[in-house]
Amino acid sequence: MSTVSSIGDEMRQQRAQQDKIRHRLYLFVLAIFALIWMSPVIWTVVTSFRTEPSLQRNLASFIPVPFTTENWTFILSSGNLWKWFGNSVIVSTIHTLAQLVVCSLAAYAFARLDFYLKRPLYLLVLVGLMVPFQATFLPVYLLFSNLKLHNTLIALILPGIASSFAVFLMTQFFRGIPKELEEAAMMDGAGRFRIFITIIIPLSVPVMTALAIFTFLGNWNSYLWPLVSATSTEVYTLVIGLRKVSQSWGFVDFYGRNMAAAIFTALPIVIFFFAFQRRIISGIAINSGIK
Amino acid sequence: MSGVVDLIFNALEIFNPIFAPYRRFNEKLSPKGQQTLTAFIFIAPFGILYSIFTILPIFQTIWISLHRWEIMGTNIQYFGLKNYERLLTVDTQFQQAFGQTIIFVALSIPIIFVGLLFALMLNRPIKGIGIFRTIFYLPNIIAVTVIGLIWSRVFASDDRGLLNAIIVNFGGESIPFLNRGDLATIVVAFTTLWWTVGFSMLIFLAGLQDIPDSLYDAAKVDGANRWHQFRYITIPGLQRPFAFLSVLQVIASFQIFGQVDVMTGGGPAGNTRTIVYNIFEVSFEYFQVGYGAAMAVIMLVILMVISIIQLAVFRDQGVGN
Repeated sequence: MSTVSSIGDEMRQQRAQQDKIRHRLYLFVLAIFALIWMSPVIWTVVTSFRTEPSLQRNLASFIPVPFTTENWTFILSSGNLWKWFGNSVIVSTIHTLAQLVVCSLAAYAFARLDFYLKRPLYLLVLVGLMVPFQATFLPVYLLFSNLKLHNTLIALILPGIASSFAVFLMTQFFRGIPKELEEAAMMDGAGRFRIFITIIIPLSVPVMTALAIFTFLGNWNSYLWPLVSATSTEVYTLVIGLRKVSQSWGFVDFYGRNMAAAIFTALPIVIFFFAFQRRIISGIAINSGIK
Repeated sequence: MSGVVDLIFNALEIFNPIFAPYRRFNEKLSPKGQQTLTAFIFIAPFGILYSIFTILPIFQTIWISLHRWEIMGTNIQYFGLKNYERLLTVDTQFQQAFGQTIIFVALSIPIIFVGLLFALMLNRPIKGIGIFRTIFYLPNIIAVTVIGLIWSRVFASDDRGLLNAIIVNFGGESIPFLNRGDLATIVVAFTTLWWTVGFSMLIFLAGLQDIPDSLYDAAKVDGANRWHQFRYITIPGLQRPFAFLSVLQVIASFQIFGQVDVMTGGGPAGNTRTIVYNIFEVSFEYFQVGYGAAMAVIMLVILMVISIIQLAVFRDQGVGN
């Protein structure tokens, strides 16, 4: 009896050992593939630490010799990139907060109140899911031209705050919150707004965080609108600033500097990503309505 | 926390007299009327912004497209359907851009399959495999300017690009990746794949994890081999992600702009110009907003038709919410 079980144990151990080796090997192959897949990024980082003369001689090197921080000190000491970084932070933060407030209020009405015109209004909200900004931004551009609001941060913040998707997502979520919680509060004489603040919002923190993260990312990375609206250097966002910088410095002469600026632009959002990694990965399933 | 909120609300009650007329009005209404009033107040901020930035612009775009309309607003005249006539009959540039957009849509389909491949590769219960999910998803969150810049440097011509530098180092002849229309198209499409494949991967990973293990166990008992398991359990189980991603991919590819603007500027010889790039060019470089708006309307119609087909298909299959 005991010998049988010890043979079983041995076999199990052996298999576990084999699995471990196989897993290690698998991870190793994956690592090689990931290195190749990300090699342009690695090359970009390396290039930002190389000198121009050595880049002129040979671009294709993954070793930063001779090593220099010249490119980095140049871009970090030019105030523009920091200024644009600040603009991006301000625009994306205000845009995200405003969207949460504006859209959650509307979503609460659609999820909980029984009112006239509810269905047609909700359908009108859903129309927005089908209308890409790229197809309707021309009148918005003309509106801001008439108001003389181009080249202000307000112009970069306002469009997109009223997001159909945000209302849709939160309406779905609010509908799932048990009504009894509110009814008890209503017995105590609390108004709708008070219920919204004290009951609904605290229960919706996860979905709102997920939404906020993606709104922030989307706004930080937005391209077409800031490209046409912000045409003067002081109001560029980081993303648009990088485009202008790489055009004006020219690649032939300032290869390393351009690469440093590209990394400077990507870095804040990469840090943001690692800070919220779990929520981003799980939020994608929520946001795309797959789960 | 709730104590503080209560305190604030109680403090706010000193403003009650101001709202007295509103209260009196509200009390006269039927219960549904009262809720309607409350609902409209809740919706108002959204409603105003939504009207200005989404709903009205649809109609304004159509209106502008019926005019000869210069961007400074000095020269506006009614044009009827002349803009559309020009688009559809004589404007070979737009027709080329339209065809090019369709090509990009077609070239984006592989992204879904590469995403599936990555998901299958990473859907194993191995410790440490999560890192690779992060790595392959990472490019997706980075701005298009950065992505475009990096890849345009990889593919730059002569020995000013990484790939060509390598080719030249090995004694080969440099390839004009970005200076030949067909190659530039592939380069832009590949860059898009590299940038966005992580998203498809994550959607498929979520889908794979939704397939119950019991299905595979049952199949194993029945002696199904790996291919059969994949073919008859995995693929049908991923119907939802497939449907979702293909629609999303088509819609996103119709709107390709950033990559083209950063990497090729629509060139060479207009070979990578897309519809959105053409709208941008016509409106902001030739200042013909009316004409740009006509292109925008055509794009809007196509995307709405796709969305409606999507809704119909999803409803029939019981897919989606």
